[in-house]
Amino acid sequence: MRKAYNAGMPNEAEVLHGVDLALPRGEFCALMGPSGSGKSTLLNLVGLLDRPSGGRILIEDRDTTGLDDAAITRLRGHSIGFVFQYHHLLPAFTAVENVMMPMLVDRGRPDDEMRRRAAGLLESVRLTPWRDNLALNMSGGQQQRVAVARALAMSPALLLADEPTGNLDTQSAQGVFDLMREINRARGTTVLIVTHNHELARQCDRIVELVDGRLVGERRP
Amino acid sequence: MRDWLPFEWVAASRFLLEGRLQSLSIIAGVSIGVGVIIFMSAALTGMQANFIRRVLSAQSHIQLLPPQEVARPLRGDVAEAAIVQKPYQRVRSIDQWQKIMKEVAAMPAVTAVSPMASGPVLAQRGEAARAVTVLGVDPEQYFRIIPLPDKIVAGSARLTSSDIVIGVDLANDLGVTVGDKLNIAASSGATATLTITGIVDLGSKGVNQRYTYVALHTAQALLGLVGGVSSIDVTVADVYQAEDIAQAIAAAEGVEADSWIVTNAQFFSAISAQIIANTTIRFFVGLAIAFGIAAVLIVSVVQKSKEIGILRAMGASRGQILRVFLLQGAVLGLAGSVAGSALGALAILLWRIYARFPDGTPYLPMDFDWRLFAGAAVLATLTGLAAAVAPAIRGARLDPVVAIRG
Repeated sequence: MRKAYNAGMPNEAEVLHGVDLALPRGEFCALMGPSGSGKSTLLNLVGLLDRPSGGRILIEDRDTTGLDDAAITRLRGHSIGFVFQYHHLLPAFTAVENVMMPMLVDRGRPDDEMRRRAAGLLESVRLTPWRDNLALNMSGGQQQRVAVARALAMSPALLLADEPTGNLDTQSAQGVFDLMREINRARGTTVLIVTHNHELARQCDRIVELVDGRLVGERRP
Repeated sequence: MRDWLPFEWVAASRFLLEGRLQSLSIIAGVSIGVGVIIFMSAALTGMQANFIRRVLSAQSHIQLLPPQEVARPLRGDVAEAAIVQKPYQRVRSIDQWQKIMKEVAAMPAVTAVSPMASGPVLAQRGEAARAVTVLGVDPEQYFRIIPLPDKIVAGSARLTSSDIVIGVDLANDLGVTVGDKLNIAASSGATATLTITGIVDLGSKGVNQRYTYVALHTAQALLGLVGGVSSIDVTVADVYQAEDIAQAIAAAEGVEADSWIVTNAQFFSAISAQIIANTTIRFFVGLAIAFGIAAVLIVSVVQKSKEIGILRAMGASRGQILRVFLLQGAVLGLAGSVAGSALGALAILLWRIYARFPDGTPYLPMDFDWRLFAGAAVLATLTGLAAAVAPAIRGARLDPVVAIRG
């Protein structure tokens, strides 16, 4: 089964022009391009945070065009995980609570199964000692790892990352990247990562380039 | 996180705790407002109750009188300008008063009736003389309406045919005490010498200077009302219904029925004006509270827009975001009302202790009514909820992309 995304020309300012992108399941794909080329916009579209003004987006061969806001929200919660550039954890919650958040939003009430799963995810990002730290009491790299764990809370088929290592030093950046790579290999999660970092991009399965809203090329490093 | 608390509650309480300074200061504002409302409500209730207590301590709820004598011009069908002079209202008896008494006593809204023969007389002792009103009553029936024995300050409320009970200020004016004799003279020429058996305090100086109580027969003899009564006093179950009941009695029995409400119309309209002013103030305080909570939540929505966006990205629905902010409003209202109730209760307590005249009587007695506090809590919570609606809708409508980008 493939994940196909046929995005058209979305948004007021016509940021993207005739973008046609298909991500096979389990691929680790990098999206690169100069600033203002529309990478974030494309990512938001793929993540169903935004709607295209033309064209379609298919998640696991399911057309999202006709779905209402509630259905899109549910689909997003279950199938897509986000890692943003600025960690965007909820500062008033602890690390484990942040990881539990998508499950809490989905099921409404906390339970032991959620807690165990969150603990497990924190373990897989090697942050167990910090599980009860408030999000604001952690370093940048640690917060980003919590964000990755959170993105996986609902076992999504697709992981989207918008410059997740942009704010981190080289070592932390590589650490986070390795984490995502590991998840990709172990669980078969499809990953689309927007990055400026050529060093990291070289470690991906495929690099797609976006310039001025158009896909200009792709290569396999 | 407790297992039984749903997501909305968890998020709402954390958000409130996160903006601790904001939350605390709005709670402080709400509590001051609620405290003011509670104190003013208690004062108003106390004032009303106090007034009614004082007025009704020496006055029955309804007084039945013989219909007013009206002068009618003899020439009926010729239209002509005539000045009709209102005749002097003599002391007259109510026709068939026993029948009327029985019928009125049978009305379900009425709790007691008592006949009275009263009129103006002169009270003399030696050279001192005062114009007073003599009220002839049947003690057994009358004391159920006005409990004279409770108001005795000297002697006892005994009213055999040669006894008289007078007000404390009259006793002072005439320089008499229990046991002294008073000469009572009516305008008809009838006189009586009565022994003071008791002195009462009826609650106001005017009344204490003018009212004297004797046995019904004694008054009837003095006033030339043999076998008759000049008025009937009526007590009703619900004092606020007194005027309605009075009108019903007047219509049914053909007598004039004056309720305490009509007799004290001035006081009543003063009270009504107080209620209106008080209620207006309380309304605007409530409005200020609502705007305060709304302001805090609007700021909170703006501050938390990134977090809202992230929650939406994680799959939180608009409804969930809406409820998170509605809950915050309700909690702020409730917390403020609890603190405000404490403040209000403290104010009432201090008032009860310190707001007294030098002799210890309170300026205005105030009671603790649990319904006031419960009502304030409910109202403040609902106000908080209502105030949260606009900010909550705004938060729910945030576009996740815009919100996350900041």
